[in-house]
Amino acid sequence: MRIAVRLIFLAAVLAAAFWFWQVLFPSPEKIIRKQMTALATAATFSSSDSIIARGLKARRIGDFFTPDAQIALSGPDSGDRTVSGREDIADKTAMAFSSLQALRVEFVDVSVTVASDRQSATVTCTGQVHANDQKDLGVQELQLQFQKVDGHWLIARIESVKTLT
Amino acid sequence: MQGPAAETKPPAWWQVLLIGRRPRRTLVRVILLAVVCFVVFKFLLLPIRIEGISMEPTYHDRQVNFVNRMAFWWHPPRRGDVVSVRLAGEHAMYMKRIIGLPGETVSFHEGHAYINGQELDEPYVKYNCDWEHDPIPCGPDQYYVVGDNRSMPFTYHEQGRAERRRIVGKPLL
Repeated sequence: MRIAVRLIFLAAVLAAAFWFWQVLFPSPEKIIRKQMTALATAATFSSSDSIIARGLKARRIGDFFTPDAQIALSGPDSGDRTVSGREDIADKTAMAFSSLQALRVEFVDVSVTVASDRQSATVTCTGQVHANDQKDLGVQELQLQFQKVDGHWLIARIESVKTLT
Repeated sequence: MQGPAAETKPPAWWQVLLIGRRPRRTLVRVILLAVVCFVVFKFLLLPIRIEGISMEPTYHDRQVNFVNRMAFWWHPPRRGDVVSVRLAGEHAMYMKRIIGLPGETVSFHEGHAYINGQELDEPYVKYNCDWEHDPIPCGPDQYYVVGDNRSMPFTYHEQGRAERRRIVGKPLL
């Protein structure tokens, strides 16, 4: 009985140590997933948010990208659009934010593949967008390239994936 | 002196109502039900809510349905099947109808769909359109999918070739 209690105690200590280790030193996959959630939060705003708050959010979105990042999106109604550079991304985001009343962004089905050198990663996901408090949902399959720059995981490229070719 | 029958009090009516006369058996039933629900609704019938008008009038916006993942276990998708096509995963899917099978070419002329040059009879299309498009060949593993509502311009309607691996199943209802 005593041995069993000791074993359970040991297992609990090991589990707690493992959890603590994960908190202190999260895996790249976990960090990237957190980044994706943070990006979705940064890109979400309500109609009650002021223009200044939206501008700040747009600036914050720029911080998720590498200086030479690129966004290449194509849609059936919008054609092909490419935005290059962190500053340009932030500017275009600010412009888009000012033209919308509200925006809700979510990334679902996020799948992260970290390269063997652990300096880059590829993420596939589906972006869901609700604009202007409308119930209509916009969905787009996306592929993101992450790069580790000075210890931070930043987005180097976002491109849309054509689900139906 | 009281007998043994008098010592065991019958459970209260609310107890019987909530957990039955045999709580252990009830617990087993609850666990079994939870496991069955998890397996059915996670792996066999995916609950979905339809968003958008692309499948009008067959399916309406905000309708609730289930995707039957077993639909294509025994046979491949067929022409006319309404299918769910996954994007990056199964949280968001397109609901479309298969009109073109692997190896066929699909084209549109004056709003009618043509398969290998032959006009396709589509009684489910209720809204007229003027779609025009050159033949699009489907690869050996591709199905051409399109919505029933063709009232919008061709370029605004999400449609095209879907790989077999993306076809999750058929709506149940």
